[in-house]
Amino acid sequence: MKPAPALAEGFPDLSGMRIAREPHWFRWLSAALIILVLAAIVRAFAGGQIEWSYVSRFLTAKVILEGIVNTMVMALLAMALGIFLGIVVAIMRLSPNPVLKTVAAGYTWLFRGTPLILQLLLWFNLALVFPTIGIPGLWSARAVDVMTPFLAALLGLGINQGAYTSEVMRAGMLSVDIGQYEAAQAIGMGRLRALRRIVLPQAMRVVIPPLGNEFISMVKATSLASVIQYPELLHNAENIYYANSRVIELLIVAGLWYLLVVSILTPLQMLLERRFARGTLRLAR
Amino acid sequence: MTRLSHLLASAALAAAVPSAQAAELPAGIKQAGALKLTVNSTYAPMEYRDPATGELVGLDIDLANELAKRLGVKIVWSETPFAGLIPSLQTERADFIIAGISDRASRRETADFVDYLGTGPQFFVMADNAAKEASDLCGKTVGTTRSTSFPVEIEKWSRANCEPAGKAAIQYVPGENSIDVRNQLKQGRIDAAVQGSETLPYAQAQEPGKYRVVGEPFAKGYQGIMFRKDDVALREVVTETLTAMIADGAYKAVLDKWGLGANAVAQPMLNAAPQ
Repeated sequence: MKPAPALAEGFPDLSGMRIAREPHWFRWLSAALIILVLAAIVRAFAGGQIEWSYVSRFLTAKVILEGIVNTMVMALLAMALGIFLGIVVAIMRLSPNPVLKTVAAGYTWLFRGTPLILQLLLWFNLALVFPTIGIPGLWSARAVDVMTPFLAALLGLGINQGAYTSEVMRAGMLSVDIGQYEAAQAIGMGRLRALRRIVLPQAMRVVIPPLGNEFISMVKATSLASVIQYPELLHNAENIYYANSRVIELLIVAGLWYLLVVSILTPLQMLLERRFARGTLRLAR
Repeated sequence: MTRLSHLLASAALAAAVPSAQAAELPAGIKQAGALKLTVNSTYAPMEYRDPATGELVGLDIDLANELAKRLGVKIVWSETPFAGLIPSLQTERADFIIAGISDRASRRETADFVDYLGTGPQFFVMADNAAKEASDLCGKTVGTTRSTSFPVEIEKWSRANCEPAGKAAIQYVPGENSIDVRNQLKQGRIDAAVQGSETLPYAQAQEPGKYRVVGEPFAKGYQGIMFRKDDVALREVVTETLTAMIADGAYKAVLDKWGLGANAVAQPMLNAAPQ
């Protein structure tokens, strides 16, 4: 055994010292404080003016289940309409044609610039402006028969979503290297075919995370359609508490369902992301 | 002018009697010197925002102001959707609720009502509608505000009047508030609508010749001032003050100002509505 190297003059020998543990007292204190606050919140909920029997009784009530089905149907259809409009408007926005470009920009400006609830109320009350709608000479109907709460909600939510989605889609298309587009043109593809076959599939990878985000927003935005009497989850929960005055209980019921739906959607978004990222994942491996 | 003289008279009366009532106000309110009251201001003429000034006005507002004056406190107003009124009371955001809310047995589980105004659901249609009497509305679509007690009343009336006569039941269509319901009526979304009888004279005055009332109010009820069940002291002091206002005419003056003198009650009643 070699002796330990001699220490330079003036330096104390620390080799025998015990390493003191850092106290981390603030870490302990903040954790304790947070647990205390959480416990107080749980206790308040447990002992507050909440009749939990109502929560469990109405959690699977028929009207609530119908509400969640209507919420999901509306969210899916409105999102589909929004994505369709979003793609069309994004393509128009990037078109060299000044008319298409201006119309697309105007659409985004109009529907992003007014509150969603205002748009829903406008669609629902459209008959005050157009009592009858139709194609002259072919077909006409009373606007209120056409503009049911369902259709008013679908148009309101979908067209508003389209304005936001068009920007997401435009960002996705801009994220695809211009060389890809040029290469497609070089082998004789037209603008639309190049978009469909080359640019959009690559843009999908980029737009899935924000679209997932928007869809989760959409699930909850459908609750605004309650004011135009579309029987979605919140509307139906409200109807129950209008009758039995158990407000908090029914709001908890609706809240739990929204949380459950969003919890299911989050991993679905991951799967979708992985699917559209196949090409780049292979490279990364 | 009559109202002013009533107020002066009542002020004189209040001055003559030492304020024994104010002494009974719960300590918290007395200390704050203010009542916290919550209304849903979409229910003209009971409570609404004056379109010209944006001020909160209405029959309930006048009654509450007179109550507060006699109790020697101010009022701090707040607003909520109609369905938020009962929670506002429960969470003590409001000390009591005077907001055109009907005394109903189902609501008495959570609150006590001091009934102060006669009311009843009333059918009405567009002026050019063919319906002559209420029974003509069987089988038709009838809209009303879904957060009120009216949907249940309509169903009950339909069961008692349409079905025994061999007619189809009334189809209820939900609306968000009275304005929304009247909009649905104008668009032909619904054939008829229901509102509290106390609100129709105002709506008809706003849009003259547009609506026509069909039949009489089809159920008898009361609007009540709503109190927390454990808040007996406040309930009693308000009941006493209201009794005094009825006795000296200040109450009637407020009702007459809003054209609702016919809806007056002879005295405040605790939880007295029939349903």
